[in-house]
Amino acid sequence: MSVRIGVYVCECGPNIPDKIDIDKVLEDIAPLNNVAAAKRFRLLCSNDGKKYLADEIRKEKLTHLVVAACSPREHEKTFMQVCVEAGLNPYLFQMVNIREQCAWMIPDKAEATRMAAKHIRAGISRVALHGPLSKKELTVNPDVLIIGGGISGIEAALSLASKTRKVAIIERSDSLGGRTGKLSRLLLHQGTDVSVLREKIEKIEKDENISVLTGCEVTDIRGFLGNFEVRIESSGEEAVSRSIVVGAVVVATGCELWDGYDPAVYGAGNIDDVVTAAEFEDMIAAGKILLKNGKPPRSVALIHCVGRKEKGYCSKVCCLYALKFAHHLRDSRAPAEVYEFYSDLCLPEKTDQEYFDGAVKKGVHFLRTENVRVEKRNGHIVVEHGDGAGKKKTLEVDMAVLAPALVPPPGSEKLARMLNIPLDETGFFKEAHAMLDPVAAPIEGVYIAGCASGPKNINESVVQAQAASGKILSTLVPGKTLEPEVKISVINEDLCTGCQTCLSVCFYGAISFQAHKGVSAVNEAICRGCGSCVGSCPSGAISSRHFTYRQLYEEIFEALR
Amino acid sequence: MTSRETRKDKRAAVLPAREGIQKAVTGFLKKALERGCFEAVMMPVRAPETRSYAWLMVKNPELLDEAAPLPPVMSVQGGRALSSLTKHGAPPLSIGVVLRPCEARAAVELVKLKQIQLDDVHVITIDCPGALPLKDYVRGGENALDRFQALLEHWDEDGAIRPACERCHRFSLDISDEDRPLAPSSKNGAFPVEIHIGLLGENKEEILLIPLNPSGEETLEKLGLTPDRPLDGWAARVRALRKKKEEKRRAGHEEFKKEISGLDRFLAVFDACINCHNCQNVCPVCYCQQCHFDSPRQHLTAQRYLDRARRRGALRLPLDPLLFHLGRMSHMVLSCVSCGACEDACPVSIPVGKVFSLVADETQPHFQYTAGKSADEPLPLQSFLKSEFCEVETPSECREHQSPEVKSHA
Repeated sequence: MSVRIGVYVCECGPNIPDKIDIDKVLEDIAPLNNVAAAKRFRLLCSNDGKKYLADEIRKEKLTHLVVAACSPREHEKTFMQVCVEAGLNPYLFQMVNIREQCAWMIPDKAEATRMAAKHIRAGISRVALHGPLSKKELTVNPDVLIIGGGISGIEAALSLASKTRKVAIIERSDSLGGRTGKLSRLLLHQGTDVSVLREKIEKIEKDENISVLTGCEVTDIRGFLGNFEVRIESSGEEAVSRSIVVGAVVVATGCELWDGYDPAVYGAGNIDDVVTAAEFEDMIAAGKILLKNGKPPRSVALIHCVGRKEKGYCSKVCCLYALKFAHHLRDSRAPAEVYEFYSDLCLPEKTDQEYFDGAVKKGVHFLRTENVRVEKRNGHIVVEHGDGAGKKKTLEVDMAVLAPALVPPPGSEKLARMLNIPLDETGFFKEAHAMLDPVAAPIEGVYIAGCASGPKNINESVVQAQAASGKILSTLVPGKTLEPEVKISVINEDLCTGCQTCLSVCFYGAISFQAHKGVSAVNEAICRGCGSCVGSCPSGAISSRHFTYRQLYEEIFEALR
Repeated sequence: MTSRETRKDKRAAVLPAREGIQKAVTGFLKKALERGCFEAVMMPVRAPETRSYAWLMVKNPELLDEAAPLPPVMSVQGGRALSSLTKHGAPPLSIGVVLRPCEARAAVELVKLKQIQLDDVHVITIDCPGALPLKDYVRGGENALDRFQALLEHWDEDGAIRPACERCHRFSLDISDEDRPLAPSSKNGAFPVEIHIGLLGENKEEILLIPLNPSGEETLEKLGLTPDRPLDGWAARVRALRKKKEEKRRAGHEEFKKEISGLDRFLAVFDACINCHNCQNVCPVCYCQQCHFDSPRQHLTAQRYLDRARRRGALRLPLDPLLFHLGRMSHMVLSCVSCGACEDACPVSIPVGKVFSLVADETQPHFQYTAGKSADEPLPLQSFLKSEFCEVETPSECREHQSPEVKSHA
């Protein structure tokens, strides 16, 4: 079958003819091999223009099309659609940019004309070697897997589940609720207990579109937006393993209190009545704050910022919960003296200042200091601290409560590797963009909500869960079809030596090594066509479907001639 | 013995070598086969009635009579022979293989390139005095064998060995002057050699068998040998010879660099190249099924040839011999172990090996990498250090490499 290439130069209004002698360009390219038509048109992207092109394709029986006009970023898709409508495979089309790359840049008309002709000739050389690639369609799986059954996971599940979208929450421990479930009171509405959370959990238990898998962990995830295959194993005595398919994953694995601080400095664990915030929270929930000897404490030191220097970040929620503890201690019938030792106060929300002022009014002492030490001396708990003027002071108290840093829970690294989500220097999951895309992971179809990406309070966790749900609701519409990338890489098995260099450069995890054949293979649905593997293969066994060696060679050669 | 023992504590077993080194080593291998240390031996064997050495895999101990653990020439690079055997998985029987140190280093690189699997392969290396140039051996007749014999006795014959061997300083184990542990080890760990045969001991009528890992110790035990000879004497002689060779290498590279600096002089080196690609064919590290330069990509249309000829005024055919060498260099020089197989194979005697080992010596340090040293050291080609990106891609995020203007705005 003969090759008949149609070349159409668009005037783009006055943009191009002012700077380029189009007729001269057409003269230059019309006699080239395989060029069946070389014409000009005023505005090809207009309705008239598109109709004209479609008619030309049919009339001239074109096998390939070149449009010389503006940037492909503007109208490549437009003209590809024209090809489809005219019955021409849209990948047998090449767009040449003679507006931004010639007319708008080169002041001398003769030079601009020469360059335009060169660009078009390069495009013609290339297009003749294009292959008629075809798009594939996949129906997305609308279901969602939520990893982590804390407040973020719970909120996401309730926002997402519906008759057409099933949600599975997978939780490592035996019950839903996470750290929020262990709280005695929620902060914002002092006096509100956590029955709000209880109600949400009950809703989930009643919802037939949500399945809760407690005592289970994810052991393998492969796939892409609309099609993730997940393997789940239960950690109980009977290790049960099962696979499910979902379209999106929400990582809501939360955080935990750091326990790596030096006990010699902070005393917890080896001194009675030095407790962590979690232990104090349990005491409040149990209804009584008591020392080991059974008596209530007359004085309590609340130690902020345990681990802030070591970890290098502020954990955001501790100042507020320490204030909560302070209010609680001062509100009791026999209020204890409360001393809060802090290095900086974090009071960002609109009600926080008031809450702090309230604590001051109730007689809570605030001491700003670095370098706190909690020790036992002569049978008493002593807090040693700097006084701001270089001297050390000590304070004797009955009880000390430590507010340690919030850190990622164990297993985060493993999960990060499975999902291809990077961890940042603090060990928390790294979002696609901390400010502009805070709930998406760099991999499409995976979302991060709550403390999984860094310390947050409950309000922020809920907001993120709802945001992630919103993103899923709008992209993963049931019945929607996905078109995986067409211009992907392909590995020639005869040339592949199985050295797996390509695996080390593929960010998307789209390449796997087939041990039984001794070669590597590209997963066509996950490959994004970035071409890194093509460049990395020492054997040249990998080629891009739309950027083959021959195509690039001919295009470049023609441009440099 | 643990792998962290110092040179002072490492000891060797001694084998008498009254009938010469080759017989002593083959004797050791025969016994090892008989005692079941491994089920087959892979080594160069001289084909009867010819002078060539071919790598054979041998189960019958009697066939080892014609074997040469240290042949006078390096016919096929041992690393390459091993990869042809184990590319698609470890063989179903255990094998003992004797390699020159450069062959073992090539094998280490090939392990990292997934072309060799060393499971159940017992690697034995041997002090290497060098090899004769292939052409000299082919022409030289029995004289050549005598010359090699003298080499094994004196170890310092200038002019007799291949140029690559003359400037080779890694002819033995990697021991140093500091009190460092002897070659790192564990069966398929950093440097997967189980026994090293020392030939530079004080007594010429003995060979030293130095076990480098538990597998090596087991082999010696099975043979009823006890490693009780201290290594100080041998180590001292290795170090002294190494110093000489290092200096030769350095001086040789310096001089050669001057000879080939500048494009014209560099081109002149490859003037005689006939594009046979022998160098690539024999190179152990060149593992591609089909070299890019042998692929259909190299075939241009006649029109393209004419276009190029028109631009340059003339055209050399076949195209781009220099591009082949530079291309091959950019693909494999970071794994080049300076074995010199390429130089031996060049029919027009281009010093390919010299060019490549010079470039290897100057480029590998940029990645803090030494080819063949350790199977745990990742290939620069396949490793990406985040810290390296900041220098070129995101200087504004990298505090260390920020320009002064950016820093002052921060």
